[in-house]
Amino acid sequence: MASKEKLFRALVDEHQEMVVNTCYRFVFNREDAEDLAQEVFVEVFRSFEQFREEAKLSTWIYRIAVTKSLDHLRRLKRKKRFSSLKRVIGIGDPSEQIAAPLHDNPADACTDSERARILRDALSTLPDNQKTAFLLSKQEGYSNQEIADILKTSVSAVESLIHRAKKNLHDKLYAYYTER
Amino acid sequence: MKYNHVNRASEVEKTMRVADEMEPLEVNPLFRVRLMQRIEQEAGGRAHSLDFRLAFIALLVLINLGSTVLSLQTKKQHVTAIRSEVPENQSYDYTNQEFAYYDQTSENQTP
Repeated sequence: MASKEKLFRALVDEHQEMVVNTCYRFVFNREDAEDLAQEVFVEVFRSFEQFREEAKLSTWIYRIAVTKSLDHLRRLKRKKRFSSLKRVIGIGDPSEQIAAPLHDNPADACTDSERARILRDALSTLPDNQKTAFLLSKQEGYSNQEIADILKTSVSAVESLIHRAKKNLHDKLYAYYTER
Repeated sequence: MKYNHVNRASEVEKTMRVADEMEPLEVNPLFRVRLMQRIEQEAGGRAHSLDFRLAFIALLVLINLGSTVLSLQTKKQHVTAIRSEVPENQSYDYTNQEFAYYDQTSENQTP
């Protein structure tokens, strides 16, 4: 048990930064990202014995991080639907609409959080595999091969997913700015 | 504010760039400590739920044993009751008047 904990501590030290930042890419919010990263490591601790060495340990951990992040986004989507329903009947919570800032400078924070919100909304309309491929490709440390391993697909499929994600995002954002 | 084509393209580009410009997070120094606390708490919680499950299983086993013993006892009493009834029935059967015929015929046949 002690050796398992020791091994686990070393594992957390090695991968915590990558896991937190992976979750951060998906949720755009530090607190949520750290909470999700904790959930990821709890899951890793629980199912450590079930790890079959079919993939690299890091790939297995990052796959859990991606799955947890996508689950979180789905939960948020459901919550958002429910809160818009609550707003319609007049019992909505206005604090739910406040986006988390990415910068300390209030002026930058304002524009950045607005852009981040717009990007997040556009990303939320993409299919999960496109979203994942696009977001992981933007994070330092993930090669296309590693993304392919996480998504259990080929490198060429990942390249195609990233390309389609960029095109879809561009179209959705263009439509958004056309409507405004 | 209404965007023209050039503005729209530029806004799209700026918004897309947000994904590239996201600064990597520094992990909170207490991250691992909190994580280990959470794991210990969950392990404690699971041990409690395991205790509860064990107690519930023990209760189910007791109820099963009790009902088995009870049904066996009832069966035993029933069997004893039947056994005590058998000789009575048999004696009734063989002392019944209907069987007297055999005795009578045997008496008649003797010279």
